[in-house]
Amino acid sequence: MTQAPTIVAAGKGEFRPPDPDGYREYVRDHKERRLISKLVSEHDAVSRFVSDGDYVAYDLNIAARGPGSLFREIIRQRKKDLWVMAKFTWTDVSLLISGGCVSKVDVGWMESGPILNRAIKDGSVKLIEWSNGALAYRLLAGSLGVPYLPMRYLGGTDTFEQSGAILTEDPYNHKPICIVPALNPDVALIHAHQADMYGNTRIFGAGVSPVEMAMASKKVIVSAEEIIDTIEIRKQPQRTTIPYYFVDAVVHAPFGSYPGSTQGLYGADLEQWLAFAAAGAMGKTDEYLENWVYSVGSHQEMLEKRVGEAKLKALRDADTLKEGYYD
Amino acid sequence: MTDSDNPTVSFTDIEVTICHISRMIEEDKLYFVQMAGAPLMALLMGKRLYAPTVGYVVEEGAVCPDPEFPLPRMMLGSSGVHFRAVQWTSMLMVDSHAALGFMDYGLLAALQVDRFGNFNSTHIGGTFDKPERRFGGPGGANEIASQCWRTIIMTKLQKRKFVEKCNFVSSPGYLDGTPGARERAGLPPGTGPWRIVTAEAMFGFDNTTHEMRLDAVAPWTTVDDVLARMEFRPLIAGKMGVMQIPGEQELKMIRADIDPGGFSTGKGDWLTIDAVTGKKIG
Repeated sequence: MTQAPTIVAAGKGEFRPPDPDGYREYVRDHKERRLISKLVSEHDAVSRFVSDGDYVAYDLNIAARGPGSLFREIIRQRKKDLWVMAKFTWTDVSLLISGGCVSKVDVGWMESGPILNRAIKDGSVKLIEWSNGALAYRLLAGSLGVPYLPMRYLGGTDTFEQSGAILTEDPYNHKPICIVPALNPDVALIHAHQADMYGNTRIFGAGVSPVEMAMASKKVIVSAEEIIDTIEIRKQPQRTTIPYYFVDAVVHAPFGSYPGSTQGLYGADLEQWLAFAAAGAMGKTDEYLENWVYSVGSHQEMLEKRVGEAKLKALRDADTLKEGYYD
Repeated sequence: MTDSDNPTVSFTDIEVTICHISRMIEEDKLYFVQMAGAPLMALLMGKRLYAPTVGYVVEEGAVCPDPEFPLPRMMLGSSGVHFRAVQWTSMLMVDSHAALGFMDYGLLAALQVDRFGNFNSTHIGGTFDKPERRFGGPGGANEIASQCWRTIIMTKLQKRKFVEKCNFVSSPGYLDGTPGARERAGLPPGTGPWRIVTAEAMFGFDNTTHEMRLDAVAPWTTVDDVLARMEFRPLIAGKMGVMQIPGEQELKMIRADIDPGGFSTGKGDWLTIDAVTGKKIG
């Protein structure tokens, strides 16, 4: 005799129903197994692998080892209607909103401000509440190929009410337990220290959930500060964070996290955030984007013409801590 | 300008709150500190001054770092703040450490808190769909407040922050306060808010009713003043504690090493007190 599962409470937040079998089929039919070069430009990576309406996830944020150059390319290509994961983020969501790219945000944490508040008020952006950990945990479920995972938080709060979590009865011990649905994003953007042309990727230092995100996402774009030879990867396999077959595109992006830092390489450009915050406060984000995104054709051109070598040198000098990253 | 010849000391409400929390940091315990900002500053000051071997994790997966002073201005995820950790891992890992019961204390900041220690970091005013002012969201506070044994929350003592009902409960306190409320919501037993710390007052919680209790006030204020700055009336401790005045060494450390330039701690409300009596001047 079977019994219906006991649902104690269910959040009303929107989410895509988990579909681990569908994800397996996608992997079978679309993920590249061959050892072939995936090196492409930012432009080609974004035009090939980011579509309007996609669910986009990224590791860390525009303050530290986030995919800054890929954010700007998404804005440059005027991608629309993206569902963005704001897990442990900073002003990145506001930046993407100011570019008109976003329609939904899964919230863990994001820097709020006038841009976000305006978008909520005019109804152009809808928020769904989770938490940093809950979003990472949903990626973990997505990376394990299971439809959901139980966890020990979210329950009892308004965050739960606005999420897609369910409070149910543990089938083993009959105690209340919260479950969250697996998340398989359409696109993952991951900025890394090093990668080879096949997509074998090295991230040095702490992070949020880059490995699970790469495993759970249909299309994975890695931007790397440095492209290294595969023999270097094979000589020190323990340093590999993500093996090649999860990765769809590799972009060589020195200062790819700009204006954020990349640990062991360069510090963050605080003046750049202040400029963006001022633009948001004064309703001048169009001018900001024109200067930093639309009027330059690429990340490289932005670094050369807008940031300049003196500033790049200062940012390199601001992070002298190589220990643990490069020794 | 003072009636006596006593020296005076000036500080912001954020600085003094950091000082209060830093003195609570205990050796031989593990802390889970949310993001960068004042809670992390308080932990690092406590580690430097009172509890050098205390361990802590941050959300972005640095386990027990030992950053050098002065701290970098942009702390979030920076190499300076992750310096000399025992492990660099992921958020998923450190959240699991809390789920397993390793984290003695969670250390967080909140926009609003109610009498049962439920707190808000999502929006103020309006409704969820039409907020007057939207903020960042729970971040990691929900998992920290759910899974650490004891949670310490810092906020400001203001009527709009100590409210009957939060505009939005982002993260759990004792929920409706009834016995077993957290367990019925699937949270681990034996956990919950432990202290609410502001510049002028410190609160605990009654073990049975789970109501907030005023435990201590700063020497420059009174119980009545504190109550006048809250929307609800908390329980009052039988023996009221007196909070310490920030010392010169602590303030110097904040200004030179913890937040050089005062970019976040200097923005609070300034207060000048008589350094001997602790009474407010002006």
